[in-house]
Amino acid sequence: MFIIQTIILGLCLGFVYALMATGLTLIFGVMRIVNLAHPIFILVGAFAAYYLFVIFGMDPIFAIPLCAATTAILGAITYKLVFEKDAGSQTYSEMTVLLTFGTAMVLDGTLSYLFKNTQRITSPPYATDAIFIGDIFLPTAQLYSGLISIALIVGLGLFLKFSKLGIAIRATSLSRVNAELVGIDVKFVCIFSFVLGCALAGAAGSLVSFVFSFFPAKHWEWIAILMSLVVLGGMGSILGVVISAAILSVMASLVGAFIAPAWSTMVFFVALFVMLLVKPHGMFGKYLE
Amino acid sequence: MDSRKIIPIATLLILLFFPLIQFFPSVFGDQNYVIHLMLYAFYYMVMTSSWNIIGGYGGFISVGHNAFLCIGAYIAGYYSIMWGVSPFYLILLAGIGAGIFGFFVGLITLRVKGPSFIISSIALIMILRIIFDRWELVGGASGITLPYNSLSVEFSKFPHYYGFLALAIITIYMNWYVRHSKFGLALRAISHDEIRSAVAGINVKYIKVTAFVLSTFFIGCAGAIWADYLTYVRPNIFLIILIAANVVLMVILGGMGTVTGPIVGTIIFIAFNELILSYLGATELNLLFTGLLLVITLLYFPNGIVGTLKNKGKLPRFLDWG
Repeated sequence: MFIIQTIILGLCLGFVYALMATGLTLIFGVMRIVNLAHPIFILVGAFAAYYLFVIFGMDPIFAIPLCAATTAILGAITYKLVFEKDAGSQTYSEMTVLLTFGTAMVLDGTLSYLFKNTQRITSPPYATDAIFIGDIFLPTAQLYSGLISIALIVGLGLFLKFSKLGIAIRATSLSRVNAELVGIDVKFVCIFSFVLGCALAGAAGSLVSFVFSFFPAKHWEWIAILMSLVVLGGMGSILGVVISAAILSVMASLVGAFIAPAWSTMVFFVALFVMLLVKPHGMFGKYLE
Repeated sequence: MDSRKIIPIATLLILLFFPLIQFFPSVFGDQNYVIHLMLYAFYYMVMTSSWNIIGGYGGFISVGHNAFLCIGAYIAGYYSIMWGVSPFYLILLAGIGAGIFGFFVGLITLRVKGPSFIISSIALIMILRIIFDRWELVGGASGITLPYNSLSVEFSKFPHYYGFLALAIITIYMNWYVRHSKFGLALRAISHDEIRSAVAGINVKYIKVTAFVLSTFFIGCAGAIWADYLTYVRPNIFLIILIAANVVLMVILGGMGTVTGPIVGTIIFIAFNELILSYLGATELNLLFTGLLLVITLLYFPNGIVGTLKNKGKLPRFLDWG
């Protein structure tokens, strides 16, 4: 029973991690930007949810659209200021990693200056509640956030699969040049998918705000976790990210339950190193250069 | 002798005799803080110059190089307590320990290039942070506390000053040597195209890993002196991303893949940092401005100060060492 419960809790967290990482992998797939600023966008979303909850008493789940809009606007501004200038240049991929690193530092500094580095968590009524199914104990916060994450990821998947814009996004991530040849407005697709990725970060942020306690410097830890998911899933593959998030998160919660909670995040980092050792280009991804 | 050599040698002589002003407090006042800033600059010069070997020439941008600083500091701290000697005697040991660790890390992470390498270097810091926070042998999160040295206050920084100065000179010389050796040529070829370099007969793996070990060795040495200077070794001081970010920023600011770039970048960055600290005083804003500087430099001067000036042909001769 204990094992089953640990696995279910791990899965719920895994889907939240998957939602946190899908924006990242979407942006990488389309634009070849490794967005190290992604976790700080999640934090911005979490802060938006926190203040909406504290000031207006707004439920974090209903605040998802607002949080997503906040980070989407922030993402659009960042894109205009930082990435538009040299999109498509040769040393692009490596340069943008450092650019996003700088952006993350700027946002981190701003957030810590405005809100100080204290632990925060939103506490809607279901945050401390739990459901019992037989002997299995399920905290509602984890359950709801996991379910909503799945719903959002499935929605994103349907959008990418069937809508015209989604097909354009997939085409661009396959080949930029060929997408341009068949008449896709690549520039617009890039902006759109960057903003969409940031909006997903905001949505994840509002879920995170009642699952984890957060503070501005927390995103450095998330960067490593999310990046290990993205590398493991193969950069640019959404299905890969979801699978690797589910597997690793279950492993992490098993480690947390049977060894010590402190060692659980180690699973992600060790998995990253093992992956680099065994198969440097991920389980499902295309060749990365 | 031309101006190209005179200026560096004169600077070196001044730096060698500079701390002696502490013997005449009636004339110069107490300049301990200035000495601190200078040795801090030398400390960062060791890190930036050795980072430049793998990051600048090799093109492997690591934002986790302070992992090796931490290993060096822990080796020096742990054995200096165990054997009852000053960490200064353990500099070489710390360097070799960091180098061996760097060898194994390099074997794994240098297989990938670009984004994946950067991510693996961040993950390295996180792994070490988790391990050292919980490793009771080396004190866990509270770390190791080292004794103060027995010198009186106004001279207490002398050993660190000269230690870092010597280490900085060796590292900068090494940087220059790598730039002008066949080894460095191979390294720069690898940074452009690994497959073509391998076809041209370069032992790619050997060169990459050697460069990585070389760069981690000097950082480990710096860690030993820094541990003695701070008198404590603690994971939350050595294993923060800000240190690595500063190193990367300094090199990019000065000019990646140049000999004098890391030096210029370090000096400018530390001066800039001091200005922010003295006017604004808040560390959070410090992070903000560091990030802003990084973004602006990357967007508008991707070649850094030395690189940009060189491209325009306006680089002063004493800075032009390749």
